[in-house]
Amino acid sequence: MLRYLTQRIIAFVPTLLGVAILVFLAIRLVPGDQITAMLGTEAGMLTQEQRESLEEYFGLDKPVTEQFFAWMGNALQGNFGYSVRHGKPVLSLILERFPVTLELAFLSVIIALAIGIPIGVLSAIHHNSPIDLFGRVISMLGLAVPNFLLGTLIIYVLSVYFGVLPNSGNYVEFTEDPVLNLQQLFYPALTMGFSFAASVMRMTRSAMLEVLNEDYIRTARSKGLHERTVVMGHALRNALIPVVTLIGVEMGYLLGGAVITEQIFSLPGIGRLTVNAISQREYALVQGVTLFIALNFVVINLAVDVIYAAIDPRISYDSKS
Amino acid sequence: MLSSRKRQALLAFALILALLGTSLPTMAQGGGNTLVMARAIDATGLDPHTQTAFASLALLRMIYEPLVMTDHEMNIAPALATSWEFSDDATVLTFHLREGVKFHDGSDFTAEDVIASYERILDEETASAARTNYLSIDTMEAPDDYTVVFNLSRPDVPLLSAMTSINAAILPSELIENGDPAAEAIGTGPFKLESWTPEETTILSANADWWGDGPNVDGVEIRIIPDEASILAALRAGTIDFAMLNDPLVATLLVDDPTVTLVRTPTLSYHVLQLRAAREPLDMLQVRQAIACAIDRQEIIDSATLGEGRVTGPLTMASFALPPEELFCYERDVERARELMAAAGMEDGFTLHVMVANAEPPTALSEAQAIQAQLADININVEIEPLELSVYVDRWLAGDFEAAVALNGGRTDPYTMYARYWQWDARFHRVAGYIDDTLDSLMAQGREETDPDARYEIFAEFQRHLAEKAPWVWLYTGFTYTAHQPYVTGWEPVANDSLYFLHEVQLER
Amino acid sequence: MTANPETLTLHRQQGVVRRLLRNYSGLVGSILILLFAITGLLGAAGMTPYPPLEQHPRDRLTGPSAQYWLGTDLFGRDLTSRLMKGGANSLKVAVLSVAIATFFGTIIGITSGYLGGFFDNLIMRVMDIFFAFPSILLALLIVVVLGPGLNNTILAIAIVYTPIFARVARGPVLSLKEMEFVTAARCLGIRQWRILFRHILPNAMAPLIVQVSLALSWSLITEAGLSFLGLGTQPPEPSWGLMLSESRALAEIAPWLMFFPGLAIMLGVLGFNLLGDGLRDVLDPRMARR
Repeated sequence: MLRYLTQRIIAFVPTLLGVAILVFLAIRLVPGDQITAMLGTEAGMLTQEQRESLEEYFGLDKPVTEQFFAWMGNALQGNFGYSVRHGKPVLSLILERFPVTLELAFLSVIIALAIGIPIGVLSAIHHNSPIDLFGRVISMLGLAVPNFLLGTLIIYVLSVYFGVLPNSGNYVEFTEDPVLNLQQLFYPALTMGFSFAASVMRMTRSAMLEVLNEDYIRTARSKGLHERTVVMGHALRNALIPVVTLIGVEMGYLLGGAVITEQIFSLPGIGRLTVNAISQREYALVQGVTLFIALNFVVINLAVDVIYAAIDPRISYDSKS
Repeated sequence: MLSSRKRQALLAFALILALLGTSLPTMAQGGGNTLVMARAIDATGLDPHTQTAFASLALLRMIYEPLVMTDHEMNIAPALATSWEFSDDATVLTFHLREGVKFHDGSDFTAEDVIASYERILDEETASAARTNYLSIDTMEAPDDYTVVFNLSRPDVPLLSAMTSINAAILPSELIENGDPAAEAIGTGPFKLESWTPEETTILSANADWWGDGPNVDGVEIRIIPDEASILAALRAGTIDFAMLNDPLVATLLVDDPTVTLVRTPTLSYHVLQLRAAREPLDMLQVRQAIACAIDRQEIIDSATLGEGRVTGPLTMASFALPPEELFCYERDVERARELMAAAGMEDGFTLHVMVANAEPPTALSEAQAIQAQLADININVEIEPLELSVYVDRWLAGDFEAAVALNGGRTDPYTMYARYWQWDARFHRVAGYIDDTLDSLMAQGREETDPDARYEIFAEFQRHLAEKAPWVWLYTGFTYTAHQPYVTGWEPVANDSLYFLHEVQLER
Repeated sequence: MTANPETLTLHRQQGVVRRLLRNYSGLVGSILILLFAITGLLGAAGMTPYPPLEQHPRDRLTGPSAQYWLGTDLFGRDLTSRLMKGGANSLKVAVLSVAIATFFGTIIGITSGYLGGFFDNLIMRVMDIFFAFPSILLALLIVVVLGPGLNNTILAIAIVYTPIFARVARGPVLSLKEMEFVTAARCLGIRQWRILFRHILPNAMAPLIVQVSLALSWSLITEAGLSFLGLGTQPPEPSWGLMLSESRALAEIAPWLMFFPGLAIMLGVLGFNLLGDGLRDVLDPRMARR
């Protein structure tokens, strides 16, 4: 296990280096630069000297390779640069915004599980019944509604028909006011959790169906165990293994993919930070945030594999396959 | 099957979720005597001398003050200066300063701060956006603590109106020498900046030592909600007291809303189709005139804004604007447009690339689409190039376009408004793409003439000439919108998007 | 020695369509996609009630009626026609991007898997770089770099999906290349590329086909999402995501502008998902019984 972990972590290095180079070059290929993005049409009022001094200030006057190694060297020491727009170091900005996205992802998962698992279990138990059909239709719809459509609809219906809006206030941290915080995050989490609930439901249902046909379940039944004990105690526990994997994979997407939801509900998370940084051409910020998201993503994927091995005894990473 | 206990737990869980979702507070979170407002776009920085974005200027006007300002009627009114006079030849401008004014850090406001501020604006190192408007200032002197004399290198009447800009804000000399105006905001204005979290919240508190009456609120909290439809929802839900809106389509939804008050303010900025006469075939006068005649301005207003606008010529300020009917081809005339195209030998038309910035302004793409349909009637095939704002700006500055839909800012004085475009040595001659001797000499006369009637005549001729040569096709001016709850009283906005007059607002919850 | 895999594959594929239509998901999915394809093709061929870009300023924002079946927008353009043309654009993006991704992804995947060793390792490391981003974020980054527009959206989605296809195609190749019939073919002196494309590829087809269907649905959502953010299809050209985005400010006075494009997106995605499910049931015998 330890050996496997070390191998995987070493494999991160080229991946993350690749990500760093890719993003670094990509953002510089984008037309338009930080100075015009900041000054707008008034950038045309700058004299040549003023422009050069601004370029020097942003470090844009050096060759690209030099810029890259300077950035990389600093990044390795934990210095990801400085955001001029926000007047803060990139790292502290990321650490400030990340909890919002993390909490949102976490809540989405809870909502998805709360909706997905019960429906999935019921669908499997009542295989091919109207209940099953209903569950499948719901999950099909869930998968077919894109986030931005659901989010737009939720805001539209709430504000036009109910006169309420959850996200017009300042974002309040959980530690400050837990109830208000949860109220603010409920609808965005529902938006993101709904389609995920559909996959959870499908996964639970098919895993349950498979497990319910296994020999040991038949054995358990034939021993005269109560049906509820069989379903909840034996079948569900085993059926949840693939669901755990699914949660892991989805967490990775939720942490970086909340771009549209955060934009629609104006939540100050990582996704919105990224979109703003891109449109304002804040090179240091874009590089920092994407590298952070990529790091998250690979670490979570590793964690999923490890957890998977831990809960499913059939898998062992040490035996060479 | 699920046991009843499990089922109960599930039910309880569902109930909690439902409660969380619906039991929302209906009162503005600020409560009390703090005004909670929302807008879609945040300021981009705090240094009043270098900031140019509308959103920044609106905020900075609450914190900083210039020597003179524009009042509700767009007249020049006292601010940090109580009175001023020009010498007869318009080469010496003397200000008498208000006494007893304190900066937010408690220091006294004196002539020294005025001179330090203008020196900073004129210093090229500062990279001040508005520097070119003050270049006629030769020397400054302070005979005493409350008098400042500006000696000008040439007669410059529009200088006074340029000084109303918040780009000419007075900063404490201490901050200029030892501080960083980009990081700290210390002004003399009605509100003090407590904190600024970009893209999220700005907290301002009332300046108790302010020289004027008010503010009547304890403070202002500005929230950034990037989506205007969400701002609208927040107003209806009562979670905010006050809002600034940019999108006329969103604002019009409030027209018949009994619970929220919508305030329209005409603006000085104008929507325009910029043609670059430097490019073929736009270098032919008839082609440009044909385009001008083929445009139906009212229909553009209707399509882009559902009628929220007013057809305008080159000048938008009421004191100088000519009635549009007096200008060249302001009534759509397709026949005449076709004749003009034929006269230019272009009856078969051509392809015109029109660049548009995404969502800046929100109506730009709609305007371009209406123009596209209208110009198709004279065989001009319009290709719309939607660009991201920073790319658009880069190309706009470089003059790298055939035509562009733009929203350009206006000023209270016609000379200040157009000095950058319509003179031989104008900074933006590449953007304008057109210049002739008549325009240049009219601008020069307008700068030096001190008699109001004579100035009116000069700029009337200027407007007729511009409309007839059609380097650009001026379309319309819109409104800026603010909306507020009924208990917000005393709000009277001005045409320059200023939030300065929020100090007059009262909350009668 | 195993049966000749070529005849085996062929035999299996003959029944696929019939079995797909007998499968409930497959049937509904096929019908939806067929509907989508027909209206899209009519839209692309210009056979719409009105030209989709034609403005009727006098009829702006009218609701559904006999004259304009689904109503008109801000410019008085016919919503039915725009939905048809928008569907054509969405379909074009989805099909082209997935086709490009399938083509390159498959070639990269099977070549890499078949050759193995250092080359395989290098290619998979490069693919890992793309896998290190959430896909929507990657698509967004690429579109920003390339600039907004229909063609660049196609390219962006293709780039995001190529590594996924490479991975899907590579998997089966790893086990297939060790199988007897391949070794046998190699002993017979059949050329490498021939083995690869005539013998290995057909056997790796099933997961690829399922993946294509899922990719089409994802591509449809992504195109709509990018257009919604103003980065995809550019006005005045319609696309479902763009129409939905344009409708937001007007939803209150003209709800039909939001309703119909939203419904169209949902049905399109639903169609591809159901088709993918059906195909999986039919092609993957292990999953078939569910």
